[in-house]
Amino acid sequence: MDETPDDELVAAVAKGDELACRLLMERHLGRVVAVARRMMGNQADAEEVAQEVFLRVWTHAERWQPGKAQFGTWLYRVAANLCLDRLRRLRPSVDIDEMPDLVSGEPGPDARLEQDRLAARVEAALQQLPERQRLAIALSHYEGFSNIETAEILEVSVEAVESLLSRGRRQLRVLLATERDELLRSRETSA
Amino acid sequence: MTLERFAAIMDAYGTSPARWPADERAAAEALLAETPAAQALAAEAAKLDLMLAAAPVEAPSAALVERLMAAHPRAAVVTPAPQQDKGFFRRLIEVLWPYGSPVIPTGALAASVMLGVVLGSVAEVSVLNLSPANAASAEMETGERLVALALADATWPEEWMQ
Repeated sequence: MDETPDDELVAAVAKGDELACRLLMERHLGRVVAVARRMMGNQADAEEVAQEVFLRVWTHAERWQPGKAQFGTWLYRVAANLCLDRLRRLRPSVDIDEMPDLVSGEPGPDARLEQDRLAARVEAALQQLPERQRLAIALSHYEGFSNIETAEILEVSVEAVESLLSRGRRQLRVLLATERDELLRSRETSA
Repeated sequence: MTLERFAAIMDAYGTSPARWPADERAAAEALLAETPAAQALAAEAAKLDLMLAAAPVEAPSAALVERLMAAHPRAAVVTPAPQQDKGFFRRLIEVLWPYGSPVIPTGALAASVMLGVVLGSVAEVSVLNLSPANAASAEMETGERLVALALADATWPEEWMQ
């Protein structure tokens, strides 16, 4: 069943096939959570989005028409739109100037602590991006969707995807400039 | 592939060739291999890639998977073997209405009995249960409950009689 196309798994899901449900989740749930994590900035919200996405898969399974659209494209488009909806509703309470404070100065001797700090900073920097740039980066850079696939999911042109990615990455370079210097410094000293 | 286009590719997609536009990949790889200026651009882009790689990733929790499994679509199950149809139906009615001749029952119970048997005699029907809280009772939806009652010797729960 590992090679079974998504369309067939969805048809089996509609008939109540538990194995098909598990396989579909094995195949896609992790990536859906990952995209949602990049968008929402925390695991709890990411899992809520992913749950909503898959509940829709369960609801639509009966009506799914193979050949009409790629299941993968549809799935991540649903995920993307749910994330954007949620973020839109949350927006008033998010202060874009309230970035978590840089724990400046003290170079941590604990490599794990440094890694966690960097992780948190990258996550925070991504949260600062305009949502569509963040989404393009989540799909393209993090999940490895091609420019064409990303364009289909976002329902924009490939040129538009490239523009979103360029602007997003440029902004991230600025936001993470300090981290970059620290990271390079620590690599030089440990080398 | 010009250096300018290579720079744009680095800007948008970073240093992993797998991310580059498929139709430009080979040309970009060739330029990278041959041109120090391209290599410098790639080295610069790699610094951001390195940082982006640090973003936290957590696998979906077991609880999430369980909740989704509990809510997955279910097929209605009442499918008596064809040769037992008549006897099964009689037995079903007699078990539920042991007070005399198997008069066709009325009311909600009757509806569910009839529905259960009708569903059983046609192709499987999908029944969607979206409420995780009902996961336990989902397995004992009307049809299955009827089957269980009909085929069990034990007496049925009190509330079924009310």
